[in-house]
Amino acid sequence: MRNISLIFRRVAKSVTLVAILSMATLFVQAQDIKEGESLFKADCSACHGVDRAVIGPALKGVTERHDEAWLISWIHNSQALIASGDEAAIKLFEDHNKLMMPAFPTLTEDNIRNILAYVDDASKPAPAAAGGAEGAAGQQAGASGDVSNFMFGGLIVVLIIAFLVILVLNRVIRTLDRIILKNRESITEGEEGEDDGGESSGKVFVDKLKKLSRNKKLVFFVVLGIVALLSTAGWNVMWNVGVHEGYQPVQPIKFSHQLHAGVNQIDCQYCHSGAATSKNASIPSLNVCMNCHNAVTASEKYNGEVSPEIQKIYNAIDWDPDTRTYGTDTKPVEWIRIHNLPDLAYFNHSQHVTVAGIECQRCHGPVETMAEVYQYSPLTMKWCIECHKETEVNSKDNAYYDQLIAAHDKLKSGEKITAAVLGGIECGKCHY
Amino acid sequence: MLAMNKIRIIGSACIAVALAAVVSSCGDGRTTDTGMEFSRNMYDPIGYNPDQLNNNFANKITAQTPPAGTVPIGFDKYPYENTMEGYEEASANFHNPLERTEKNLKDGEVLYLRFCQPCHGESGHGDGSIVKLEKFPPPPSYATGNSSRGGLMKDLTDGKIYHTIYYGLNLMGSHASQLSPEERWKVVMHVHELQQR
Repeated sequence: MRNISLIFRRVAKSVTLVAILSMATLFVQAQDIKEGESLFKADCSACHGVDRAVIGPALKGVTERHDEAWLISWIHNSQALIASGDEAAIKLFEDHNKLMMPAFPTLTEDNIRNILAYVDDASKPAPAAAGGAEGAAGQQAGASGDVSNFMFGGLIVVLIIAFLVILVLNRVIRTLDRIILKNRESITEGEEGEDDGGESSGKVFVDKLKKLSRNKKLVFFVVLGIVALLSTAGWNVMWNVGVHEGYQPVQPIKFSHQLHAGVNQIDCQYCHSGAATSKNASIPSLNVCMNCHNAVTASEKYNGEVSPEIQKIYNAIDWDPDTRTYGTDTKPVEWIRIHNLPDLAYFNHSQHVTVAGIECQRCHGPVETMAEVYQYSPLTMKWCIECHKETEVNSKDNAYYDQLIAAHDKLKSGEKITAAVLGGIECGKCHY
Repeated sequence: MLAMNKIRIIGSACIAVALAAVVSSCGDGRTTDTGMEFSRNMYDPIGYNPDQLNNNFANKITAQTPPAGTVPIGFDKYPYENTMEGYEEASANFHNPLERTEKNLKDGEVLYLRFCQPCHGESGHGDGSIVKLEKFPPPPSYATGNSSRGGLMKDLTDGKIYHTIYYGLNLMGSHASQLSPEERWKVVMHVHELQQR
């Protein structure tokens, strides 16, 4: 008896010891990995991915390819290691187009061990991917659920309205029935032949219309009403001819301004860089997209695949995200122009953006909230002129107005001013 | 008599409601056409817009790439190649022609905030707005980082910074299409400011 309890106690002791130890190592490891992750994100992720090659090679399994001491000296100063004649280092350098890796002398050996621990941990097949896919699917289901909920609600409202209409009509019919019955009782026998029950309702209707058409006042008002209705409708249509306000075409790529300018806070003029310096705000060429999208593929939302919309950029510019090289089979993206001034009107973006300092949103509306862009302003002449009448010119520290002010000062002080001073010999004054 | 019509009236009411429901359920409230237009030819220029489809060319692009070797009037050609040698040459021979005036510095800051800040950060430490959202990896800090071409970011010269803006490096793309040569020099000026921070 005593023996058994002794053995039991011993076993229990060792089990708890093992448990505590493993907990402790787990905890320490978790700490390491966490620190390694933040260091990796700060110092390594600009060039290395775990699963995919970015600028440098993918780091998956790096601790199996090289031993720890070698990795530490490589990360501390790869160029020094190459210069010292280390064969593995030279081979690695040659294999990757002699791309230099910056030295990281500030990372301690423990830092590097933590980074390597993180890389090892991240190399393991992660259950997170499946979770992400599920999440995405769930989101989609949610979205379609929203739509069907909305439609269902609408249907119920329509049904309720229909029921009410039927109720009201029922009541009206009953009242009319009663009145007619009452009237019929007082109708004289002589008219009975004409008004007999077998008569078709169509004829009754025509008769009624005939009776009404003899009422001149009523006819006058009906005609007046129709004329008024048609002229207001016509007037509205005429005012809206050629006004594209609200125009929201379907673009070839589902580019979301709400994501890029709203969530990611990228300046409008990062992409539309022509707005500050030229007549056109310029639709960015694809190389501008690639400034970010050579790294951003949104693959975490698409099970590790490149997002289909980003893939459209790659197809157009013939970029292979795996080898990170451009091909020659390029084709333009056919964006659909939304804001289109007639060719008879001249508009210059730089004059409004740079000289006047007007915000893009003043004319284009809250673009940073638009998943798909629509035309916010009517872009009519009236709309332009209303703003030009109100807007005060800011001539202070504004080089555009310097000459104008100088000319006016000269005029005020009574100096001689020639037409040339006011731009009278500019080519366009005569040869427009 | 009306009792018979009752069914007809109720029926027509039901049809009207159903019709209204069907008609109003079409479309999602967006306007995918431009509405009524009069004399469309006054909207379309006689000449081609640069971004317009053009059937006169095999690739149907109006903005054709100029023939090789063509140089626009007033174009500043950047003479250094995108190699390590070109980079070092630019560092040795290419210097900022702009004066360090308050206005140039201010312009440089505005341009930096627009074109560089999303990654490099307002203070230049690689903590830009898009990096903070963890959507793009951080570039090295101008003040404390190491350059992947060797040396400290702090010691980058005029020519080296200009070279990188012009060609891009690693994950950074070329910003030559977005910045004119003068604007690039203004940005270089501001980056020098950030190297001190």
